[in-house]
Amino acid sequence: MKKIKFDGSFYLNPYLGGVILGTVLLLSFYISGRGLGASGAVKSTVAATVNIIAPEHVAKSAYLSQFAGGDHQPMNNWLIFEVLGVLAGAFLSGIIFNRLKLKVEHSPKITSRRRLIFALLGGLIFGFGSQLARGCTSGAALSGMAVLSFGGYITMIAIFGTAFVAAWIFRKNWI
Amino acid sequence: MKEELFVSGRNIPNIDPYLNIWHWQIPSYLFLGGLAAGILFFAAVFTILGKENKMATAVKIAPMIVPFALILGLFFLFLDLKHKLYFWQLYTTIRLESPMGWGSWVLMIMTPISIIWAASYVREIFPNWDWKFRFLKNFEAWVIKNRILIAWPMAIYAVILGIYTGILLSAFNARPLWNTSILGPLFLVSGMSTGAAVVLLLSKDHKERKIMGRIDILLILIELFFIIHLFMGFKAGSEASINAANLFLGGSFTAPFFAFVVILGLIFPAILEVFELKGYKVPVIVPAALILIGGLIFRFLIVEAGQITKYLY
Repeated sequence: MKKIKFDGSFYLNPYLGGVILGTVLLLSFYISGRGLGASGAVKSTVAATVNIIAPEHVAKSAYLSQFAGGDHQPMNNWLIFEVLGVLAGAFLSGIIFNRLKLKVEHSPKITSRRRLIFALLGGLIFGFGSQLARGCTSGAALSGMAVLSFGGYITMIAIFGTAFVAAWIFRKNWI
Repeated sequence: MKEELFVSGRNIPNIDPYLNIWHWQIPSYLFLGGLAAGILFFAAVFTILGKENKMATAVKIAPMIVPFALILGLFFLFLDLKHKLYFWQLYTTIRLESPMGWGSWVLMIMTPISIIWAASYVREIFPNWDWKFRFLKNFEAWVIKNRILIAWPMAIYAVILGIYTGILLSAFNARPLWNTSILGPLFLVSGMSTGAAVVLLLSKDHKERKIMGRIDILLILIELFFIIHLFMGFKAGSEASINAANLFLGGSFTAPFFAFVVILGLIFPAILEVFELKGYKVPVIVPAALILIGGLIFRFLIVEAGQITKYLY
């Protein structure tokens, strides 16, 4: 293993990172009885926010009423706490490896603005897709595959297969 | 019909079996009161130790917030009153065994002291300020000369104010979660820690931040010890106390309490402050804001949970 430097240039070996992520997933099942997730936390936050602003809409919506309104407590959810932990851990890692800066990472050929617009569009499409697929990369693919769910494998292939094609189409934004 | 409730007398809406009288005003006030006590305590202690200039933010700048915090807190208390126009009767009814009576008098003393203290530093921070009237100028000169004389009662009353925010709750002998004497010291330490966080947030002096960071880590450790002690005490107590503790140890308050108060409000900011002391670059707003938010949520949870704990007869 290369020597760890604290000047912001050090990144963990991706294979080691994968093993650690797998261990985190295993621990998550062991401690909380549930897998990892990310889009679920966003979904709960959206449902809770809509429920505060327009509770009638939540009651009428077949989708949102599954998570908010009535007896549901969308914010008292393992995924919310997990995502808060992710933020805290990432912040700590940024401090330790001296990489804590407010910046937009993008190819030198495009502007920050273009990068942010594309990131937002991509995020919107991915969030919508994750709700159709009942989970995102971590919730459906990672946690699903860990329990040998067939849906998990299909989700993984669909996400990475589509990403492979989309990356080629949008490659001009990066190279 | 619920005859057993009528016969036992346990059907008094909003009082028994569950208390439902204290809403956001009380925990918000407890937070502001603790914060004010913390800031004034540090201002007084550093003045007594003769460190006004080394700890300029703690002594001169942070106390500027205190009068506003106290007045806002008192306004929240006022909003909580059912018969608002009779608030002055708190001061005509002297009862030594009443914690609310004690609290009213402590605030009656503390609020003017905080205003005088902050006012005496206004000209140092805003050099163009003019007090206009002669007697104000004379009074300012007197205060500046006798700061240590004011600092002593201020330090003592700050401690009383900080403890009082907990005693207000622990005087409720019908609510097992509140009825423990550790709540006073716990709220005092928590208030001092939020006060230290405000100083950290405002201070631009590296040395001062280092000293306040160290103090804050110590306070967080003491607070964690008190929290452990609180639950150990409950667990070793009666069935009513055990039920009260179980709200936080597996019951409905567990996740918010441990996530927002213990981990994000105490342990995580303490780790960040340790890293800052070790020389890592940490944006100070993050640990300070987490401590403040954690302190606020802590009071909301204790006030909310305490009202639904009860004796089992």
